[in-house]
Amino acid sequence: MNILVVMIPLSILLLIGAGIAFFWAVEHDQFDDMDTPKLLPLLDDPTPQESDLESEETKDA
Amino acid sequence: MNVGNCWHCGEPLSTNPPQATVAGIAHAVCCNGCRAAAEWIDRLGLADYYRLRSAPSARAPDPQDAQRNAQTWARPELARHVVRTLDAGHSEALLLVDGIRCAACVWLIERSLSATHGIASVQVNATAQRARIVWNPAQTDLPAILAALAQTGYSALPLDAAALDDARRRESRAALKRLAVAGFGAMQAMMYASALYLGAFTAMDAATRDAMRWLGLLVATPVVFYSARPFFAGAARALRARTLGMDVPVALAIALIYAASVVEALRGTGDVYFDSVSMFVFFLLVGRYLEMRARHRAGNLADAMARLTPAFADRIGADGGIERIAALELRVDDRVQIAQGERVPADGVLESAACRADEALLTGESAPVRKLRGDALVGGSLLLDGPAIARVTRVGADTALASIAALVARAQSERPRLAQAGERAAAGFVARVLTLAALCAIGWSIKDPSRALTATLAVLVVSCPCAFALAVPAALTRALSVLAARGVFVVHTDAIENLALATHAVFDKTGTLTDAELELAHIDAADRDEALALAAALARGNRHPVAQALARAAAELAPRNAQEIRSVAGNGIEGVVDGRHLRLGQRAFALEGDASDTDDDAVFLTEDGKIFATFGLRERVRAGAREALDALRADGVSVELASGDAQAKVDAVAQRLGIEIRHARMSPAEKLERLRTLRADGARVAAVGDGINDAPVLAGADVAVAIASGAELAQAAGDIVLDGENLPALAQARAIARETLAVLRQNQRWALAYNLAVVPLGALGFVPPWLAAIGMSMSSLVVILNALRIGRSVPAHTQPATSTLAHSLP
Repeated sequence: MNILVVMIPLSILLLIGAGIAFFWAVEHDQFDDMDTPKLLPLLDDPTPQESDLESEETKDA
Repeated sequence: MNVGNCWHCGEPLSTNPPQATVAGIAHAVCCNGCRAAAEWIDRLGLADYYRLRSAPSARAPDPQDAQRNAQTWARPELARHVVRTLDAGHSEALLLVDGIRCAACVWLIERSLSATHGIASVQVNATAQRARIVWNPAQTDLPAILAALAQTGYSALPLDAAALDDARRRESRAALKRLAVAGFGAMQAMMYASALYLGAFTAMDAATRDAMRWLGLLVATPVVFYSARPFFAGAARALRARTLGMDVPVALAIALIYAASVVEALRGTGDVYFDSVSMFVFFLLVGRYLEMRARHRAGNLADAMARLTPAFADRIGADGGIERIAALELRVDDRVQIAQGERVPADGVLESAACRADEALLTGESAPVRKLRGDALVGGSLLLDGPAIARVTRVGADTALASIAALVARAQSERPRLAQAGERAAAGFVARVLTLAALCAIGWSIKDPSRALTATLAVLVVSCPCAFALAVPAALTRALSVLAARGVFVVHTDAIENLALATHAVFDKTGTLTDAELELAHIDAADRDEALALAAALARGNRHPVAQALARAAAELAPRNAQEIRSVAGNGIEGVVDGRHLRLGQRAFALEGDASDTDDDAVFLTEDGKIFATFGLRERVRAGAREALDALRADGVSVELASGDAQAKVDAVAQRLGIEIRHARMSPAEKLERLRTLRADGARVAAVGDGINDAPVLAGADVAVAIASGAELAQAAGDIVLDGENLPALAQARAIARETLAVLRQNQRWALAYNLAVVPLGALGFVPPWLAAIGMSMSSLVVILNALRIGRSVPAHTQPATSTLAHSLP
């Protein structure tokens, strides 16, 4: 049963890691809109842009 | 209709439509707004939008109007309310954007705005119809952003800066985090608990057993102290208000199971229930999360009010010049000019000769009201023909619109008092368990004081195990998702119970049983087809509901071309078809001055002052309305119609739908009074309305059902929101709600029976741990499997309308 001494703290560390990752994702807008972002990549079809538009475009993309 | 529809917004076209050139191809559009929007989108290189969209766009605002409105937001008095300065280089505003129909709209708005100089970030939320925009005030400003949006074809309304904090976003983020902690905690606690249960068979050594208990304590503690905090906060609020809300028994159960388990872990004897408490919290949170999402989806009353409240006014200065100001800045006795199609900025008195206003917002009456000099104009009502000049008599909190908002607030606060009866029953269970525990403690203290604590804890813990904890949330959660799959969104879980037990259903007429359109009822003419074809030639392309009804009715006939079309707002249309000079409209207009106003609803087609044909129009009843009402009546629900409209119109619709009890010409206050009377007689009342104009009335019912179609769905406020194209779903929802109540009661009874059998044995020490483990998991399993039966026996009638709003709930 000695293996438990390693495995259980390890599982708890993993758990805390997953929790932190999830909190980070929530705080960074990942769950605010669950409906539209999944569709956006399907729509993303870059077309040639005027040069001044392009620079703004890439900054935000 | 082979004349076709607008390339941009899909509205029917007039005979000589303007053309928009997109990607080198000319397309016919309905108006200059749509043409400007389509060409602007093309210039930005975003013409792919038209390929990507899954629904036609909203009709684009008129470019000049939009420009003028956008400029008004530059006024410091207005900007102060809606713009928040983040730091020196960033300002932020939250916009309520009209006309977001599908994901392509989000794509278009984000693309077109990020192409605008000075905008730092754009976040569009399609379900909330909101856009959060951050920009650099040195490079651009709010009016420029609004103008850019309008150019793309969306009208936007900046929301009060207080909304920037966005209570919804905070609420949903906090809920997700709590849910995650409870979920992780529950999984881990179950693992350690399984080890403990198995250990009972295989003689686990005491040290490992204690370690498992401490680990359970470790993972359950954040669940109880972090995830379950809303329940404790709610219970504290309820107790401070000296009531026993639903949160009180829940909080008590969580606290008791946790405390008892901590005591056992410290003493190293008896059983710990960290897994139960974590699972309990997790399932409750899942239910609340689903409820919250439905609530956010349904649109809130504050947004509905913001849309209805006029933002601008055209004040007439002392020198006779017109200045566009914020409606907030109006003072009593200011004179304002109101353009056709705009909202009256504040309560006032008409100073020009005459106009017609749509006061549906205040009276529920769909027919326009004729106003003469000296008549009162109500703030928020829509001016149908203008321009008109008015003197302001009341502003701000004194206006009729503000009093409607107050009515809403009051009706909402009255309801919980009635809903409390159900909550008291739940509180009663806790009271009984506590009494039982106290009796047990007293009994053992007399007989054998050393065993009193163990036995009392056994009673407390065993009486609140998973089965009872899960009985209610499992059934409700299942019901919420089953209903959502059918296009019925439940905003408050209480609504399920109230819908199942409803004895009366009071329907509003306009926008609920009927949709916004008219239909042709009869034609009085020698040659009906000829008359209809001529009338349609004049009417095609006109946006008046009568004209659209005529155009629709003539869809089968060969289209004729009309020239020299001139439409007189609020009166009618004249033009030349096949060389004949025709007039179409109200009697007074069509007969050029013969003002014997006898039949309001009839539309006349005249040639040279002689009546050629008379068209009778009626409101179009929603598809499935009859079916829904019949199903409700068959279910024993008494159906009533309460409308603000005229008696004749109410009678006509009621007759077609077979409704016997009907009330016409009711003001919102009278409708509320009617609901109150019904409820005073012991009835449970479901009020069904469009959730926008009659939100105050809905708020006074036991359960408010808001029916809306398409884009308006997101704005409708109610306990239950459903798509108007899917009315029969209401009867299904009631069947599912009844089934839910039945399953809920079975679950509770089962849990109670299980507890009654186990508690005495546990109290007497007769239940070995392995049996308790099997009994607990089996009883939970029974509860969950039973909940999964909900919705099986009620076949989905039709698929809900495939709006972006309907198909993404779990």
